[in-house]
Amino acid sequence: MRVLIMEDDKQVAAFMCRGLREAGHVCDAAHDGEDGLEMARGGQYDVLVVDRMMPRRDGLSVIETLRAEGMATPILILSALGEVDDRVDGLKSGADDYLVKPYAFAELLARVEVLARRRDPGSVQTQLSVGDLEMDLLARTVKRGGEDVLLQPREFRLLEFLMRHAGQVVTRTMLLEKVWDYHFDPQTNVIDVHISRLRSKIDKPFGSTMLHTVRGAGYRLQA
Amino acid sequence: MSDAPHSNPVAGGGYVLPPFMRTTAFRLTLLSAALFAFSSFVILALVYAATVTAGVRRADNAIAQESVAIEARFRAEGVAAANRYIVQSSVAGGEFLYLLNQPSGRRLSGNISNLPATQPDAQGRVRFTYERAPLGGQSSAEPGRAARGLISTLEGGYTLFVGLDVEDEARFVTYILNAVLIASGLAVAMGIVSGAVVSRRFSRRLDDINAAAREVMAGRLQTRAPRNFSGDELDDLAANFNDMLDRVERLMQRMRSAGDSIAHDLRLPLTRMRGRLEAALVEAGDLADREAALAQAVSDSDELLKTFNAVLSLSRLQTGERRRAFETLDPAEIIADVAELYEPVCEETGHDFAMDANPGLTIMGDRELVAQAVANLLDNAIKYTPAGGAIMLRLRSTSRGEVEISVTDTGPGIPPEERPRVLERFVRLEASRNLPGVGLGLSLVHAIAEVHGAELTLDDGPGGVDGSGPGLRIALRFPPPRE
Repeated sequence: MRVLIMEDDKQVAAFMCRGLREAGHVCDAAHDGEDGLEMARGGQYDVLVVDRMMPRRDGLSVIETLRAEGMATPILILSALGEVDDRVDGLKSGADDYLVKPYAFAELLARVEVLARRRDPGSVQTQLSVGDLEMDLLARTVKRGGEDVLLQPREFRLLEFLMRHAGQVVTRTMLLEKVWDYHFDPQTNVIDVHISRLRSKIDKPFGSTMLHTVRGAGYRLQA
Repeated sequence: MSDAPHSNPVAGGGYVLPPFMRTTAFRLTLLSAALFAFSSFVILALVYAATVTAGVRRADNAIAQESVAIEARFRAEGVAAANRYIVQSSVAGGEFLYLLNQPSGRRLSGNISNLPATQPDAQGRVRFTYERAPLGGQSSAEPGRAARGLISTLEGGYTLFVGLDVEDEARFVTYILNAVLIASGLAVAMGIVSGAVVSRRFSRRLDDINAAAREVMAGRLQTRAPRNFSGDELDDLAANFNDMLDRVERLMQRMRSAGDSIAHDLRLPLTRMRGRLEAALVEAGDLADREAALAQAVSDSDELLKTFNAVLSLSRLQTGERRRAFETLDPAEIIADVAELYEPVCEETGHDFAMDANPGLTIMGDRELVAQAVANLLDNAIKYTPAGGAIMLRLRSTSRGEVEISVTDTGPGIPPEERPRVLERFVRLEASRNLPGVGLGLSLVHAIAEVHGAELTLDDGPGGVDGSGPGLRIALRFPPPRE
């Protein structure tokens, strides 16, 4: 996929681009808001990564302008913690996701990939399936290989998120944000425990692993 | 005064007032002196007018009485008697001026030669000046003495004039007037002088405060403005100025030590990570070893990021920005959510977890922050309570209507003397880091409590059992929501 990075720190931008290229993506970088705006208008990008503080034009304004022009490309906004109410402002301006600096690159990569895939919000799915794992969103039931799997409500939402992003890496922070709606880091490995519980229900009884741990990054559900 | 702030050049090349004249105190003194001079001038002018009027009336009355007396004599005893009276009075040296003229206009008797040249008014009163005949040793006639008089026409066409010399009185009044004017002038002059003196004293004290401010600006933060402890406004100003500096200095100290503890917090994991990476680089290990070292370095850096983020959230919390996001919350819901997140963890770590939440309570706050506080308390409890211990999360309302969220564990607890220290924020980061049961998390909980106006208290837990305990009970007490 094609990613445009708008980040005024050239070294950081170069580092991000290198990482994205290594992950098999195409990456361009702009170093100020005006350049970024021009490049975003001209190029066909799948995801935009926009730093909030940029010279010439700040990130929020770039996003607002692009959205006002009707651009629907998913946008991830980056911001240093401590800037005034950040997440809310960022999402209000039209960004789709929000990441606080300093962040781990794996976190950025996972979010960019999830954003790129998240297209077509119009269609409503009632069935999700990954391999022999099936989820009925209306009946709230889960089956693996035709066998019923009983899940707690939160486990259901956790699995739903993993299934919607099957094949992609999802980080612990993403799970905490999207499944629990918390935006802080617990000091304990709470997510790991919940994942291992889920594993004991969807993997263990069936003898094959679908829910993989990606070292240094997070988890991936794969058939 | 040669110091820069006082010698502002005046645009347009106008002349420049001496520095002391430009001070507020001087201007105020000058203004009050001018007002004083003006008001005393007005008062004395009124007194002057009243004195003059009274003098005129007195003279006119005396003249009228004398005139009536002569007229009566004239009517009763004839012109000769009146003539005689006038001559006698003149010779006796009385104060009156007389003139009795025959119907023809010829002078019959009197001590002046002609009627006054000025036109009399309807009642025959006249104001005039006359020349008094030389007296005793005086060599020449005095010119133009002020006088008032009354001209009346008697039976048979005689004209009687009676006058009174008011020169002395007029002079006296003029003396007073001059004195008044001189006094007013003196008052203004003295006002200027005292203004200069007062303003110098005043500006010297202000200069001291300004000098202290400049010292502080130049980086000598420990400088303080001199006080005279009189309790007046300037002393007050100096005291407030000093208090402000004290506070600034404390804040800076706190920031410095916060910076130190952040550095300390970050140095250790950074050093460790560097060591690991260096070892991986230098040692001729196989690929798997290197990969393991890299993975370890990544997880080290994750820890670093966590610490970093926690420190940043803490400092942001302390600026109080989050307050605007406050809403009415159901604490039972928050507690249940966090408990749901942590319960499996406790199961895994071998802790006995229990929750007891009173429903139907409300608090004002930020859901995310309250959840974070509870999560941090549970993190701490899990981290420092040995496996097999118990952790209890409880929500209830106190007798005073506060909403209390508490986490009780059966870990080692914190000795009472250490408790106030661990509640001190930020500064104690480093110190509290070494205490059992308390990490960076508790500083964050404390900051969250402060943002919510909540009270954070530490107590013993349920007590010691089998060498463990006495446990720790940390309670967050939220003020009752206002209706």
